[in-house]
Amino acid sequence: MIFVTKDPNSTLIQKPTTTKSLNKELEHSFVTQLEENQNIVHKICRLYTNNNDAHNDLFQEITIQLWRAFPKFRGDSKFSTWMYRVALNTAITLYRKSKRTINTQDFEGVSFKITAEAYDDTVEQQLKLMYSAVKDLNDIDKALVFLYLEDKNYKEISETLGITEVNARVKMNRIKEKLRTILNP
Amino acid sequence: MDELDLLKKQWQSREQDLPRLTYNDIYKMLLKKSSSIVKWIFIISIAELIFWTSLIFLLPDSYKQITNEMGIGDLILYSNIIHYCIFATFIFYFYKNYRSIKVTDNTQQLMRNILKTRKTVKYFVFYNIGMFILLSIIINIIYYTKSDRLYEVMKFGEQGVPKEDFVSVFLISEAIVIVLFVALLMLFYWLVYGLLLRRLNKNYKELKKIEL
Repeated sequence: MIFVTKDPNSTLIQKPTTTKSLNKELEHSFVTQLEENQNIVHKICRLYTNNNDAHNDLFQEITIQLWRAFPKFRGDSKFSTWMYRVALNTAITLYRKSKRTINTQDFEGVSFKITAEAYDDTVEQQLKLMYSAVKDLNDIDKALVFLYLEDKNYKEISETLGITEVNARVKMNRIKEKLRTILNP
Repeated sequence: MDELDLLKKQWQSREQDLPRLTYNDIYKMLLKKSSSIVKWIFIISIAELIFWTSLIFLLPDSYKQITNEMGIGDLILYSNIIHYCIFATFIFYFYKNYRSIKVTDNTQQLMRNILKTRKTVKYFVFYNIGMFILLSIIINIIYYTKSDRLYEVMKFGEQGVPKEDFVSVFLISEAIVIVLFVALLMLFYWLVYGLLLRRLNKNYKELKKIEL
């Protein structure tokens, strides 16, 4: 007669993965990926808010919305691609501009880090003008321009905003025309 | 190359002076609560549903006594039964629409779903105000035709109100209360939703304009 005794150290007997440790894993994976890709969110916050408080507020709200949607993120697209949609939706649709955004100091245009290279002053000036013109666009046009600047193609832009590709293209050309007249009056 | 492409080139090649958050900064954000408009619409909608349902329970007993003695107790009972059936339908649609709001949808779809949820509640409020006005008119017509009985039931004689003035005083004060109540409600909704949804409505129109 053979007695089968259970070996307490057997690797076959695994501790059941508790929900708690699963959550920890999910949290870790989410925070790590967001930390890596945070520039995308910061760029959106810069475009859609005018001061540091509002910037942080919007970043916070986007983080919460991303985290809520994260369990359904299947990984069939890149994390960053998925982020664009959720972050832009939050900025355009869900975010409530808080009262304290009024009467506080504005960012001074865009501040690109100046490297050792000497930049042409007029180019620098033009860029600042261009950036402030983009910031003055309405929320939807701004989203189009932002995706364009991020090198998204018209298919991705149209899918993110829920408009047709043709319409996205036509609208983009109109915005370009508008910006051109602002820069070369 | 046009101006926007120039900006695009710089946008990508140069490092912007952006803030940098640490792992812990981001981790702490997960514990914070959302303050999105969807959350506010949800909270306000639930408050509205509770408010309109509880109104019926808030009526004083003396009111029920008067309606019973005036012979309209049955009318009130049947209108309440119909009201609760309609109310349940509204709750169902509200829940269904609310569940359909997903931040991962495209922008237009997301906006459409939020506005749809809001519309369900709006119709619920319109229905309530409409029913309130309609029932008030019906009841007051009945009161008017039975004004002698009403004078007895309300015991106005004991308070020294002469019978000739009673009907006009009673009906005018009823009308003033109804108009004031409706006006206050309209103002409240205009304030709450007007402010909450102004930006969303504007952006939705902007997006629809592209499609034209």
